[in-house]
Amino acid sequence: MAKERPPKGLKGWAQGRSLWILQFCTGCGAVELPPVMTSRYDMERFGITPMATPRQADLLLITGYLTVKTLKRVIRSYEQMGEPKYVIGFGSCTVNGGMYWDSYNTIKRLDLYLPVDLYIAGCMPRPEAIIEAFNRLIEGIKQGKFNGWIRYKENLRWYKRNQAMIMDIRKWSIDKKLAEEVWREVQEERRKIFEQATVPHVYEYAERISEVG
Amino acid sequence: MTGQILWAIFMPILVIIIGLIYMGLARKITARIHNRYGPPFYQNIIDVIKLFSKKDVANHGVMFSLGPVIAVAGMVISLLFIPIGNRPLLSFNGDIIVLLYLLVIAPLGMALGVGEGANPNGAIGIARALTLMLGYEVVLVIAAVAVMIHAGSASFMEIIRQQQGGVAHWFIWPLFLSALATDIALQAILGEKPFDQPIAPHEIASGPMVEYGGKFLGMLQIYHAIAIIVETGIFVNLFLGGGSLVWWFVKSFAVFFVALLINAVMPRFRIGQAFKFYWTYPAAIGLVGLIIVAIT
Amino acid sequence: MELEKEQAVVNLVKEAFEDAEADVQRARRVRIKIAPNRVFPLVAFLKANGFNHFVTITAVDWIKDGEIELIYHLWSYTRKVHVMVKTRIPRDGGKMPTLKPLFNQAETYERDVHEFFGVYFEGNEKLDRDFILEDWDGPPPMRKDFDTRRFAAEFYGQEDIESDLLKLKIQPYKGKLMQ
Repeated sequence: MAKERPPKGLKGWAQGRSLWILQFCTGCGAVELPPVMTSRYDMERFGITPMATPRQADLLLITGYLTVKTLKRVIRSYEQMGEPKYVIGFGSCTVNGGMYWDSYNTIKRLDLYLPVDLYIAGCMPRPEAIIEAFNRLIEGIKQGKFNGWIRYKENLRWYKRNQAMIMDIRKWSIDKKLAEEVWREVQEERRKIFEQATVPHVYEYAERISEVG
Repeated sequence: MTGQILWAIFMPILVIIIGLIYMGLARKITARIHNRYGPPFYQNIIDVIKLFSKKDVANHGVMFSLGPVIAVAGMVISLLFIPIGNRPLLSFNGDIIVLLYLLVIAPLGMALGVGEGANPNGAIGIARALTLMLGYEVVLVIAAVAVMIHAGSASFMEIIRQQQGGVAHWFIWPLFLSALATDIALQAILGEKPFDQPIAPHEIASGPMVEYGGKFLGMLQIYHAIAIIVETGIFVNLFLGGGSLVWWFVKSFAVFFVALLINAVMPRFRIGQAFKFYWTYPAAIGLVGLIIVAIT
Repeated sequence: MELEKEQAVVNLVKEAFEDAEADVQRARRVRIKIAPNRVFPLVAFLKANGFNHFVTITAVDWIKDGEIELIYHLWSYTRKVHVMVKTRIPRDGGKMPTLKPLFNQAETYERDVHEFFGVYFEGNEKLDRDFILEDWDGPPPMRKDFDTRRFAAEFYGQEDIESDLLKLKIQPYKGKLMQ
């Protein structure tokens, strides 16, 4: 079977000029989108329109930090979208955790769980940066340069393994068989992490407090 | 005869392209009213190309994929009964009544398809669409009966023939109340605000279209494009006197434009409010119009 | 006189509950300290006296004292006073009776506190169901002996990211898109 390639030519052009977004409004990025949509920046100029369901959308916007609980829903939504599909990560939280770098409940790097095509740096990015990102995405799609969903399919086992390390993927994956298999593999490692976490750190904590004063 | 056949093949394609441009212009005009720049007028044609180039997302069964096909087919058949630019295809005495029946086929096809999709949002959307239809069909039929009594005929071509000879002969003047009632009904038939309950994206995630993506959604876009022309076409033929090809589309867009202006500034009714509205004010206006026509 | 309505609440509580320590914190804010087994009758008494908005339950982990402090927030629309009912229970094996018979919403707040602080509320039937932290096997994360930094490093695998990516040759797109 021939290797799948991103669309080019007329298909690529149409795909670039008509991006329908599914915004997953987690975190502060949700606030930046209304200015991008309304009269000041108006993303509809480029044919970018918000859509209500993942079935109709081409572009998934992850607007800010993701907790593990939200990530489950994001993965489910992403897998329901029709190909070709693209992902944009907003802000430093999706790059390396941002200000939540030591939080017990937010993921640190979105790349590990979903194939991100484009990151927008900033905390949060200004609407100008978002428009710039959309423009780059459109240019790239027209030339067939973004291939996130192909990477996701080719390395599905790697992505599923990463996902399984932090969540129960059996309920949240469309490919149930693979999910079950990967889940059984990582069970042992996962258990170890939680066992280590239950070791009390009372004294370390007390020392840290005295250091701070 | 050959001309007729060629026109029957060429006309739906023309109507689809013009309908998509109408939708693009609608987005542009709405954007200008919102003080935005807006997409290019051919945006919806790009959308349809994109949707047809996508891989299919999800298929829930035979009926699910047949739904959009039935919808488009129902609309194309309705289109054949509408004389566009004085070129009738299927014209006979009584075609208005047949058309009123055929208009119901498309939503029913959608209902069958959505039913197999088994998404509660879709089911709610279809339930709202059929409820709303019950509301506006009454108004539309009352107004159409008034026109038929006035013209003494139930044929589109006969009604258009009687309106020839300038603006003063248009039925919108003698039948002003009926025209007004039809125009209010048209707002719901076109699915514009304040009567867009069936597809309310913020409440029920675009209703019937919720499970459809890719090529199916492309079909539904085409369905919507034809629907706009058919529905504005009814008004143009009944009240604005048809006209030559270019004139016909200009008039049809004018009707659509009025609906757009209302759409751009209105919020949405609840479905119960919309239903109650249709069975009171427009129905009353239509009935008064009908009584006036019957007396004179 | 200033703080009149607040003082009225304090007097009301002190009259009915001799073991309660009540004082005015500031305008519109009254705090009451009481033993854990007396919380239920006190909240019932306050509810009967116009405090019909049960705002939330919060908790503080006093790790050196070995206690967890539970704070019940109540607001009265008629008196315009916010009352905090504070009580302390042991960190390990401490139990509280549920307030669900008084206020239905207490059930949700108790589930919240149970997940994040590991406090057991007797009589709350939904306590063991997943609420916010789904599939969580570790210790309650808001307790102060939970090392969130170490947990984050181990759980999300901060160290191995680069090597993993290099192995699979998955690189973020770096080429130039626009001239």
